[in-house]
Amino acid sequence: MNLKNIKNTAILGLFSLLLNIPTAQAQEKFFRAIGTPHEPEVQVSWNRYYTYEGIVDIMQKIAKAHPELAKLESIGKSFQGKDIYLLTISDFKTGDPSKKPAMYIDGNIHSNEIQGAEFSLYTAWYLTEMFDDLDFIKELLQDKTFYINPTINPDARNEYMNNPNTPHSPRSGMIVLDNDGDGEAGEDGFNDLNEDNHITMMIRKSPTGRYIKDQMDDRKLIRVAAEEKGEYEMLGYEGLDTDGDGEVNEDGIGYYDPNRDWGWKWQPDYVQRGAYKYPFSLPENRAVMEFVMKHPNIAGAQSYHNYGGMILRGPGAEEDKDTYNQEDIEIYDAIAKKGEEMIPGYKYLVVYKDLYSVFGGELDWFYGSRGVYTYTNELMVSYLYFHQNEGRGNQDEEMKVDRYLTFGDAFVDWGEYDHPQYGKIEVGGFKKNFGRAHPGFLLEQDAHRNMAFTIYHAFHTPKISITEVEEENLGGGLKQITATIYNERLMPTHSSQDLKYKIERPDYVTISGANVVTGMLVKDADFNKVEEQKVNPEKMLVENIPGMSSVKVRWIVSGGGNYKITVDSAKGGVAEWTK
Amino acid sequence: MNQNLICLFAVAFFGIFSATAQQDYPTNAEVAQRLQQMASSGNAKLISLTKTEGGQDIWALRIGKGDLDNKPAIAITGGVEGYHVLSVELALHVANRLLKDHSELLETTTFYVFPNMSPDAYSQYFSNIKYERRGNTVKIDHDRDGRLSEDGYEDLNKDGFISKFRVESPLGDYVPHEKDSRVLVKAENEGKSTNRYRMFSEGIDNDKDEKYNEDPEEGIAFNKSLTYKFPAFEPYAGDYPVSQKESRALLDYLFERWNIFAFVTFSPANNLSAPLSFNKSDAEKRIVSSMLEKDVEINKMVSEIYNETIPHKAYNQENQGTGGDYFQWAYFHFGRLSFSTPGWWVPEVKAEIKDSTMVEENKDIKEVKDTPETNFLSWAQKEDLKDIFIPWQEVNHPDFPNQKVEVGGIKPFVMINPPYRMVDSIAENHTNFIVKLAEIQPKLEFHNLKTEKLSGGLTRITVDLFNNSPLPTHSELGVRSRWLQKLQVTVNKEKKDLLAGNTIKLLDKLGAYEKETLSWIVKGGGTANIKVGAPHTGYVTINVKL
Repeated sequence: MNLKNIKNTAILGLFSLLLNIPTAQAQEKFFRAIGTPHEPEVQVSWNRYYTYEGIVDIMQKIAKAHPELAKLESIGKSFQGKDIYLLTISDFKTGDPSKKPAMYIDGNIHSNEIQGAEFSLYTAWYLTEMFDDLDFIKELLQDKTFYINPTINPDARNEYMNNPNTPHSPRSGMIVLDNDGDGEAGEDGFNDLNEDNHITMMIRKSPTGRYIKDQMDDRKLIRVAAEEKGEYEMLGYEGLDTDGDGEVNEDGIGYYDPNRDWGWKWQPDYVQRGAYKYPFSLPENRAVMEFVMKHPNIAGAQSYHNYGGMILRGPGAEEDKDTYNQEDIEIYDAIAKKGEEMIPGYKYLVVYKDLYSVFGGELDWFYGSRGVYTYTNELMVSYLYFHQNEGRGNQDEEMKVDRYLTFGDAFVDWGEYDHPQYGKIEVGGFKKNFGRAHPGFLLEQDAHRNMAFTIYHAFHTPKISITEVEEENLGGGLKQITATIYNERLMPTHSSQDLKYKIERPDYVTISGANVVTGMLVKDADFNKVEEQKVNPEKMLVENIPGMSSVKVRWIVSGGGNYKITVDSAKGGVAEWTK
Repeated sequence: MNQNLICLFAVAFFGIFSATAQQDYPTNAEVAQRLQQMASSGNAKLISLTKTEGGQDIWALRIGKGDLDNKPAIAITGGVEGYHVLSVELALHVANRLLKDHSELLETTTFYVFPNMSPDAYSQYFSNIKYERRGNTVKIDHDRDGRLSEDGYEDLNKDGFISKFRVESPLGDYVPHEKDSRVLVKAENEGKSTNRYRMFSEGIDNDKDEKYNEDPEEGIAFNKSLTYKFPAFEPYAGDYPVSQKESRALLDYLFERWNIFAFVTFSPANNLSAPLSFNKSDAEKRIVSSMLEKDVEINKMVSEIYNETIPHKAYNQENQGTGGDYFQWAYFHFGRLSFSTPGWWVPEVKAEIKDSTMVEENKDIKEVKDTPETNFLSWAQKEDLKDIFIPWQEVNHPDFPNQKVEVGGIKPFVMINPPYRMVDSIAENHTNFIVKLAEIQPKLEFHNLKTEKLSGGLTRITVDLFNNSPLPTHSELGVRSRWLQKLQVTVNKEKKDLLAGNTIKLLDKLGAYEKETLSWIVKGGGTANIKVGAPHTGYVTINVKL
């Protein structure tokens, strides 16, 4: 495969050299970098972030520039009435995209975890721009469909970007709930005291404080030893006691967690904090769910989050351990382990074991309820800074990044402020777009690597073909036809979760143009172990076509003539064979 | 057909003039008419929450006086199962009696009545083919084989009822009951030679999978599709919880009714004849699956009230909740007190007392156990009910050529719903129970108000807040739920004038007959207005002269 690609690229390169001689002058400003669309139809800078409007603009441009590869649609409205736009990417000339095995990708379910949207968009952009350049991508889009849904929380994405927030807020969507149980909703959120559009920290000089400013770098607060006297106390994130109840910032936007709202083993708020009223009671998730229910061809899915450099699979909760059975785990393992190689610094982990417990998460719904192999990549990890494993929120490392790599761009220097409750305080700290979000210079690389992983994931959705049709004369005008149907990728047409609950219909293997006497599934061709299908044998029901293997279907037919065999699999696509 | 039409006209005609003319359970149209009549009375308001796929309204009748949203409320729900037609009539009757006979109660308690959550399924009772239906009108592939509704019911003997059919066969696993041979029971294989039968739901195996009526033309069951213990992928449950318009509309409505403190549901589950039991390990699990200990005590107390009010002794009342049901949802996922009763059940019919010597002599003869069916037939005989059994009648069945196939059995509906004439007294008893429940609702009171003058124009206010009710303001589970508000204590003073105490303070709960002493130190004169409460407890205020 690799060799072939290299050869093709070389030939292509030669061609473009020959073809482009007359226009060479216009291009001499650029020289192609391997791996990136050269002179793309749609110009996008991948070292910055886009608001909802910016995302929609790029999506529209992609759909407009590549009408035979990309289609834009709104799958529903957000709570505030924004359209949730989704791009369907496939080679439309080679078949109905809703009949091809599909990969679903979304991002930004947590509104502050923004880069999933750019990573999803990068994928749409890369696939459409590279279609003409690379045989691999061309073949991929002939075989597969990508459903790309960059932000499934557009309201709060814009809130995060346009209004004062911490790196961790809002996380929910824009529905405002009564968090402190006082009968009022959202009456005491953050206050941007220094009006810089970032919610940073409040500190105050205090004889009982346990912190001092570092003499080498006075931006840094360090905790003093137990027996030493400190100078500053921490007062938390910027805010006031707006409602006069003696608490600061106790009732802002939300709070609920859109990733606790999905309909597999859902639990209420007192079991799973962040759950809303019932599964899909949030309009954004409902739109996604309805789209997925209408597209049974989705066989793989990715839901981008941040932070931590993880490739996560379910289950989200130990109580749901038995849902993930061994056969499916082997496929999850095979794909994700390759992912660890493709994205340095990222680790393949299991949510409930390695992270924390989640009931009602998106990835568990995709797998548990729809039988779709799904990962969540937790984007960005501090490893990307200096290729060290210093861990999350390591202040020393972050200060070093801001000193040597971002030159002070990441930090709001301490400034004085007169606080109505606390008196004289200082406000400052890391900006909301540092830490969880990639700095611009790391964004494109990580987008590409994560995209490469989702392409690998999509590549291994089933690929079905009828590889062999054998005929045997049985005498008496009867003929035995045996068709071999091969799935040349890792994923089966039905995951074992799917088979357990009959989530998706069986695969249909149909013969037409023949007078069928009976039909059977060949369980063991060598010893002629067969299972007859008495009812409607023209349309054989095959419960599964496993990955990297084949199934055999046999008919006994009378009479001669030409016939046609069709395989129709919801997640495996359509394959035909004609005599 | 014609006869039915005439009947329908007749019922509609009587309905207009008098509700008492009702001879049988009301149709959806009659339900709407009676609700509208109640809504015109002044203390009730009727709204339609949504329309089902089958085009039926989901009605909500709000009953009460004054500021309805800020006093404790009881939600009364019927039609939780479509075949339980009694429950709809009970909800209507109770609503009517509350309006007519309990006007003074409406000053203190609000009632939300949802008479029928399964109107699509309910209408099957009035259809040309009657069967006990659960699902609404949406199209669902119950057996998940990729084909929609390919194996539904067929009325083989054309009597308008879907009952059972039996096939005489040595391979059968059913035998006639020794006490009443009309009833078939599972064979215990004790070697007695008797006719053996295979038994199926009345229909044809349309898809030739050797199963009968496993994919009928009906959709999701309301009482099997909510979030608590949702039985994913089972027939009538759907692919994910709360998938239906009617369930979403009801839940959305309830999530905005902060004042509901208790649910009374007429459904097959029963935690009123006997309370739910407490299971320590299930209660302590992260996913709570036993009612919590203190809440079981509440259930016990309310159950005692129920048993004092309802004269019928419990019999065969083992159903204390099923996966995805409504009454458990109201407690486990909505944090409110939740009570359910079928309203009626077939009472136990005791065998005639035989003289003791005879019992002694026949010691060796095994006592023949009653089944719910034989008990029902004995009761029906005692009550002189006609037309409750379809005698086994031979038919030709395409799936069993050359075999003896008979259609028959107990008629649908009759074991779950009493004859209509009994409804009135059942409803009266249940209204009395609901009134008693309303009378013990949480009740906040102020006692022992003290104002002490301190020097420098300061006043110390002390007052006891008392919950004068055998119910706590918050159940043990309710305290954990974000959908039940805390008790809010507010004083209408500037924060700067309160030297001790806050302008707003939240209390997690007040137990049964529990008091909490509140105190403030206030600067300056005038009056202070103290207000305490939550929507589901109601509010109390007291004016303090400083």
